[in-house]
Amino acid sequence: MRVLVVEDDLVLSKQLTDELALAGYVVESATNGIDGEYLGEVEVYDAVVLDLGLPQMDGITVLKKWRAAGCTMPVLILTARNAWHEKVEGIDAGADDYLAKPFHMEELLARVRALIRRAAGHASAEIRCGLVVLDTRSGRVTLDGHTLALTSHELRVLSYLMHHKGEAVSRGDLIDHIYSQEFDRDSNTIEVFVARLRKKLPPGSIETIRGLGYRLTCPE
Amino acid sequence: MRRWGLSGRSLRIRLLAGTLAWIVVTIAIAGWGLAGLFHRHVAEQFRVGLESHLEQLTANLAIDQNGKAYLTTPLSDPRLGRPNAGLYWQIDRLDSRQALKKRGVLRSRSLWDHVLLVPDDAPSDGVIHQHRVEGPGGLPLEMIERVVYPAERPEQPLRLIIAADASLIAEPVDRFRGLLAWSLGTLGLGLVIGVIVQVLVGLRPLGDLRKALAAVHEGHAQGIGGTFPREIQPLVDDFNEVLAYNARILSHARTQAGNLAHAVKTPLAILANAAVRRDPQLPQLVAEQIALAQEQVDYHLARSRAAAAVTTPGTSCPVKPVLQALIRVMERLYADKKLTATLSDTASGLVFRGEQQDLHEMLGNVLDNAWKWAASRVDISSQSDADWLTVLIDDDGPGLPPERREAVLARGVRADERVPGSGLGLAIVSDLAQLYGGSVILDTSPLGGLRLRLRLPAAHKHPRIR
Repeated sequence: MRVLVVEDDLVLSKQLTDELALAGYVVESATNGIDGEYLGEVEVYDAVVLDLGLPQMDGITVLKKWRAAGCTMPVLILTARNAWHEKVEGIDAGADDYLAKPFHMEELLARVRALIRRAAGHASAEIRCGLVVLDTRSGRVTLDGHTLALTSHELRVLSYLMHHKGEAVSRGDLIDHIYSQEFDRDSNTIEVFVARLRKKLPPGSIETIRGLGYRLTCPE
Repeated sequence: MRRWGLSGRSLRIRLLAGTLAWIVVTIAIAGWGLAGLFHRHVAEQFRVGLESHLEQLTANLAIDQNGKAYLTTPLSDPRLGRPNAGLYWQIDRLDSRQALKKRGVLRSRSLWDHVLLVPDDAPSDGVIHQHRVEGPGGLPLEMIERVVYPAERPEQPLRLIIAADASLIAEPVDRFRGLLAWSLGTLGLGLVIGVIVQVLVGLRPLGDLRKALAAVHEGHAQGIGGTFPREIQPLVDDFNEVLAYNARILSHARTQAGNLAHAVKTPLAILANAAVRRDPQLPQLVAEQIALAQEQVDYHLARSRAAAAVTTPGTSCPVKPVLQALIRVMERLYADKKLTATLSDTASGLVFRGEQQDLHEMLGNVLDNAWKWAASRVDISSQSDADWLTVLIDDDGPGLPPERREAVLARGVRADERVPGSGLGLAIVSDLAQLYGGSVILDTSPLGGLRLRLRLPAAHKHPRIR
C-alpha cells in the first residue's frame, strides 16, 4: 500500500514517514503544495495524509485540484486548524477524514488503515478470504486461526490482494502499490513474493491469469 | 464620479466652482435681458416722439388754390429750423396710383439741401411705416412715413416723412449698457465674496474634524472631541464608536494572548524542569502536559472567537445550511458508524443572530458528541419563537445520568474516558451559548439517549440587506 505524506514541517514529515513505513506502507513525501499536487495527480496512492498550511499552494487548493482532475484516493487532512467551520471546508473540498494537530500517531495510523479499507469497499476492520483473515488494525494474517509468518514485502502483496480479493490485479498494479516510484519495474521480485505466498497459503488461493496478472480466490 | 473631473479635489473647490459658474451665468443672462428691455423702451419712446411730430405735420398741412402744399404754422420743435440738427421732415408728392411724382416738395429747414430717398413702398391710408435711410452728411436716420389724401385734392396724395438721428437711440442704450455692466459687475463681485466667505465659514467644521483626526492619528487623542454641526455629529459619534471598539478588541486580544501564553508556558516550564532533572517520568509527563496545554489552547481559542463575535453587532446566519454541512462532515468522520441522521423541516427559515463560525463551533461540538455516543440514530429538530430559537439533538446512545449532566457542561470534565476527545466539547458549547445569552440544557431523549437543547438568539427570518 502506497501512502503520500504532504507536510511542510520536516520533523513532523519524517515522523509520519517513519511511522507509516514501520506500519508496512510504502511512503513518499512532498514538502510543498505544488510538489504534492503533482505527485498525487501522476502517481498511484492508496491514501494521502495532507497538511493544510503548505507553502506555495495551500492544502485545500491541492485537494480541490486532485478532485477536479478525477483523483479519488482517500485523503486525510492533518492540520492545526480544528474549528468546525474549517472541518466543513475541508470535507466539502473532498477530504475523507480530518485529524487535528496535535494528534496521537496511533490514531493517525488507525484512520489511514480505515480509509484504505473503506476505499476498497470493506466495512469491517478484518478482511476475510476463506480461512485466511487479515486484521488491518494489527497488520496480522491468520490462516485458520494461526498466525502466518510473512516478510514485510509478502505482507504488502497479500494485503493488496486481500483488499481486492476476487479481482484481477496486474503485476503493474502490485508494483505501483507496494513499491515507491524509484523501483525498477523490470525486476521479477513480484513473482518471487507471489511464489512464496503460494507456499504459505492454501493451494489455489492465488491464481495466475495469463496476460492480466493475479487473482486471490476465496472459497465460500 | 471621475467624469466630473472634480473627484478627489476639495469640497471647497467643488462648492466655489459650482457657485461661481452659476453666478456668472445668472448675471450674464440678467445683463442681456435688461439691456434688451431698455433698448426696446428707448426705441418705443423714440417712435412715440416721431409720431407726435408726424401728427403735428399732418395737422399743419394745407393745400392752396393752385394745389400746392404749405404749412399753416411751422412745426414747434426748434431743431427743425437749424441745419443738420438731427430732426427732419419732408413731404413727397405722389400720383393717384401712389407712384412717386416729386420728391421733397416741402422740406424742413434742417434738411438744408438734402433730400431724403425714401423707398417706394406705398403704405395704405393711416398706416405708418418705419425705415432707416441716409441723412445729411451720410449719417443714418430712423424715419417714419404716412400717406395722406388732402380733402381739397384727393387725387394728389402726399407722403409725409419725419426722420431723426439713429444715434438718438444708440447713445442712451450705450450709456445704459455701460452703467449696467458696472452695476452687475459690482453685484457679481459682492456675490463671489459672499460665497467665498460662506464656503470658508460653512466648511470650517470639516477642517476642525481633520485636525481632530490628525490628533487621533498622532496619538494625542483617544477620540474626536468637541461638538460638530448636526450633519457631521453622527459621523463623529460612529467614528468614536469604532475607535472604542478597536480599543476593546485590542485589549481583548491582549487578554487572550496572555491566556494562551499562560496555557502553553506552564506545561513548558514543567517539562523544562523535568528535562533538566532527567526525570524518569519524562515521557509520561510530556504526554500529560501536552494534553493539558491542548485543552487550554482549545478553550481559549473558542472563547476568544466567540467574545469577538458577540461584540460585533448585526451579524446573522441561517441555521439549516450549517446543520446540513455539519451532518456531511459527521458522516465522513464517523464513516464506520452507520447512523441514520434526520433533520426536521422545522429548521428551515431559522436564522441565528450571531457569527456563522460560532454556530459551526456550537453545533459541530454538539453533533460530534451525538455521533460519538449514538447507537444507530440522531434526530435533529428545532423550535422557535419571536426572539429565540432552540435546536434539539436527540441520540439513542447510553444517555447521561442526571447527576452528571451539570458536570459535563463545566470546563474540562469528561463524562467517560473511553471515548477520545478533549472533554471540552460541551463545555465550549455551553460557554459560547452563554456569551450569546442562550443556554444548553441536557435531558433524557425519547430515543433513549441524551437530548441536548441549544437555545440561541434568533434574527428575523429575512435578514436585513446590509
